[in-house]
Amino acid sequence: MNGENIKKIKEVEEMLLDVGTLLMSSGASTGRVRITVNRIADALGYDAELLITSRSLMLTVAEEDSVNYSSSVRRTPPHGVNFKIVSGISRMSWRVIEEKLTIAQINLEIERLTSLPHYPRIIVLSTVALAGASFCRLFGGEGWELVVTFVATFFGLFIRQEAMKKRFNPYLSIVFASFAASLISGLSVKLGIGDSPEHAFATSVLFLIPGVPLINSLTDLIDGNTLNGIVRGVNGFTIAFAIALGLLFAMLVYGI
Amino acid sequence: MVIDILMLLEKGIWFGFAALGFAVLFNVPQRTLLIIWLLGAVGGLTKLLLMQTNVPIVVATFAGASLIGILSVSAAHNKHAPPLVFSIPSVIPMIPGAFAYRMMLGLINLSGTAVSSPTYYQTLAETTSNGLKTMFILMALAAGVAIPMLISRKETIKKISRLPDTE
Repeated sequence: MNGENIKKIKEVEEMLLDVGTLLMSSGASTGRVRITVNRIADALGYDAELLITSRSLMLTVAEEDSVNYSSSVRRTPPHGVNFKIVSGISRMSWRVIEEKLTIAQINLEIERLTSLPHYPRIIVLSTVALAGASFCRLFGGEGWELVVTFVATFFGLFIRQEAMKKRFNPYLSIVFASFAASLISGLSVKLGIGDSPEHAFATSVLFLIPGVPLINSLTDLIDGNTLNGIVRGVNGFTIAFAIALGLLFAMLVYGI
Repeated sequence: MVIDILMLLEKGIWFGFAALGFAVLFNVPQRTLLIIWLLGAVGGLTKLLLMQTNVPIVVATFAGASLIGILSVSAAHNKHAPPLVFSIPSVIPMIPGAFAYRMMLGLINLSGTAVSSPTYYQTLAETTSNGLKTMFILMALAAGVAIPMLISRKETIKKISRLPDTE
């Protein structure tokens, strides 16, 4: 075995693990993770075999037509959904084929992608709050109910972000957020603001719905990644349960 | 008639904003925001229009989600981002929040009511109906989005395997 070759394989392995775990934690489906990692490995002239689970990634990289190989496992970091990374890595994987990027260039690009800024916090809070008000309007709410949903969603998301920052359990953070949002919207039911304040109460927690886990769950199931599909589905249902729990607490507080 | 159309269009605008909120929450690239707003509005309007012609809500949702799924595959080619970046935020406004909420209320209600109570079976029937609707609408949403993505992926795999030959 050639020491130089092994060093090269290790480098490729580290980079591919970065790509795979980043994609997985940013909200890509299992099929996309596998395709993207294989695409990059192929372009660099290596064979990659993957075992993908929701919490960790196992990878074997081998040189084509050679006995040299290396295997490694890495934990998937618990970051939230980030489609800028999914989109950036997908774009990069094509550049690896078309522009023949080197491993150093790929690592630089990964570093650039992970350091890209999120939208400013106030923008995120207000647009998600606007989305909450839109939900309320779609379910038949009017006037003050929209305002109540806006405020409830704004503070609910704020609480969730703070809880995540303080590293609370993610499901517990959702219970807190759901409780905070429905406390605010429940107050409007109690005080009778607007014609049908129940609309505000029902829609103020919708910003928490587990859209990405549920849709990815079905994508994985249809794609044949049954185990990951089940894991994501159970995760989605646990989130839904956490939302309901927060709502239930608020209902108990107000006796609605 | 004109008022009906205006009311529908107004709902379309709200569908768009609901999609936009989730797009920002999921940190999508800025260049995709406008498309996501449009896809959310178009998908939601398709669902509403079909429901007005007495199509069941599950089928109407599936049609709206499929349209979003197909359009997001072509948007993906134009804007160089994977289809899921467009499709997931766009279908979220169609999530059956009201049915899920009523099912939850029903379940809470059932857990505290005695079987012998006269309202028990009425509540049970309503809860089952709301729960089934929630489940099937969710499945229709996910399947509508997932199937166009899976079909289109077959094509990109073909493109990859063709590349070495052309070199």
